[in-house]
Amino acid sequence: MGALFAVYKREVTLYYKSFIAYAITFALMLFHGILFQAEISIAYTVIGQGGQADNAANIVIGLLYTFVFILFVVSPVLAMRLISEESREGTLETLMTLPISDWVFVVGKFLAAWTFYTFLLGLTLIHLLLLAQLGTINYGVIGVAYLGAWLYGGATIAVCMIWSAITEDQLVAAFLGVTTVLALFLASQLGQIFEGNLLAANVSQFVRELGLQSHFQDTMLVGLLRGEDVAYFVLMILVSLFITTLIVGTRRWRAS
Amino acid sequence: MIEVNNLVKKFGNFTAVKGISFTAESGQVTGFLGPNGAGKTTTMRILTGFAPPSGGSATVAGYDVFDQSKEVRKNVGYLPESVPLYRDMTAIGYLKYLAEIRGVKNRKSRALDVLDRVGLVKRADSQIRTLSKGMRQRVGLAAALIHDPEVLILDEPTIGLDPIQVLELRDLVSELGREHTVMFSTHILSEAEQVCDRVVIINQGEIMTQGNPVELRRQMERGARILIRTEGDPSQALGTVQQVSSVLEAEIERDAIIAYPADPTIDPRADITRALVEAKHNVVEIRPAANNLEEIFLEVTRRDNIATPISDDVPVNEAEVAAESEE
Repeated sequence: MGALFAVYKREVTLYYKSFIAYAITFALMLFHGILFQAEISIAYTVIGQGGQADNAANIVIGLLYTFVFILFVVSPVLAMRLISEESREGTLETLMTLPISDWVFVVGKFLAAWTFYTFLLGLTLIHLLLLAQLGTINYGVIGVAYLGAWLYGGATIAVCMIWSAITEDQLVAAFLGVTTVLALFLASQLGQIFEGNLLAANVSQFVRELGLQSHFQDTMLVGLLRGEDVAYFVLMILVSLFITTLIVGTRRWRAS
Repeated sequence: MIEVNNLVKKFGNFTAVKGISFTAESGQVTGFLGPNGAGKTTTMRILTGFAPPSGGSATVAGYDVFDQSKEVRKNVGYLPESVPLYRDMTAIGYLKYLAEIRGVKNRKSRALDVLDRVGLVKRADSQIRTLSKGMRQRVGLAAALIHDPEVLILDEPTIGLDPIQVLELRDLVSELGREHTVMFSTHILSEAEQVCDRVVIINQGEIMTQGNPVELRRQMERGARILIRTEGDPSQALGTVQQVSSVLEAEIERDAIIAYPADPTIDPRADITRALVEAKHNVVEIRPAANNLEEIFLEVTRRDNIATPISDDVPVNEAEVAAESEE
């Protein structure tokens, strides 16, 4: 446990020391802020014209939806360095000759990335606080939506970590991560391609269930908390970490 | 203590280590010599619990590398050849980090202790990226020592250092050898001679020979070409050298005479010197033509066989026996 915490601590510190983490934070907050401002202006325009403005929860949901969409860039960037840098620098050899199991540092690193993501997600609460001043907020709905966004981030980071373990090149890891997360994001829509084809009905169902959106957009994002959705994200994280650990372990069998 | 028994490591079809056996005693420095690509790093990676062997067995500090990998890793300090370090950390930060993972108590004082040991306390708070190559090597060594391991495995620790740093590091390794089992790889024979109590020579995944370094050097030099320098034109002395009975043949190479011994088991140097002095030539230098391990290896392959072992301590490996029986 001490070893896991040591790895975790080092990795978290590293995020706060790295330029790219600040660049992501800046870009994300800028983007999010502009969207927030736009949503508020629309609401005020609607009210000014005597209409019924969208409620605060819906505004938050809209913002969270885009936030989660942007993760196809953010998660790969957060995860790309985790393993690939260690293998390129050769420090993986040091880690792998310490008396700890491979999963310990894989999990420690993942938790650190997820922690940084939690910090990013936490920053968006500023807008929630502002909204709370303007109207009433259904905290139950918002809470579930945030839980969903949090799990979504964890799952996408874990998936991207697999690529970081496969390649020593951070850029390649990031690119493959973007592709994978985008594919998982679109999977729910892709499932529809097979619809109407009876033979492919199962395939369609499977692809849709595999997709991130099927477990987020119409469920957790709108405040619907289902065990299967939470299980989906948790399983996604666990399976990805397991695969990452296995890939790291193959280094023990390779020549270099 | 390290015991290696018929150790094999395969990568696909390629066999990097072909059934080697040796022992490294505690309180001794065991040198692991061989040219690049001989299988030194592969063997060391097996002994540090990084990679499992494909066959045979090895125990480090009494633990089996295959079945008790974690116990092995607890008792080994390893300095990989590339000296991987986290460049963003300070020297002491890195050592404290490793100490925490290894569950070492009193981390800060322990980290300072090992830094003191390698003479780097003054740079404890420097970022590793700002340290010189020699200093980094010492941080790597300090990292290997942080948990006071029974066994130390150092993969070519002197490579890339300047001569003074090399001397310092050799002293440190000899010193460490008194308290730990130290295994130390190099491809410089003279280095092994200075530092090691015992030497294991490996080539193409097989042990060529092992034993006391000074004896081994003599043994490996036996039958090798002799380089002779005399005052004046070497061609004047060439005839005299050619007349010596223990010399098969002699020729001029640049400014020196190279003599080929007639019998690989007999050193012709004494005979040559005597003959030259009697013929009133002033001998300036006489030595084996090969001066370092690479050259000696070349010599050995040129001779196409290796001199017979000189003691019971030096087993003949199977390949040599096979090669000799064919002759």
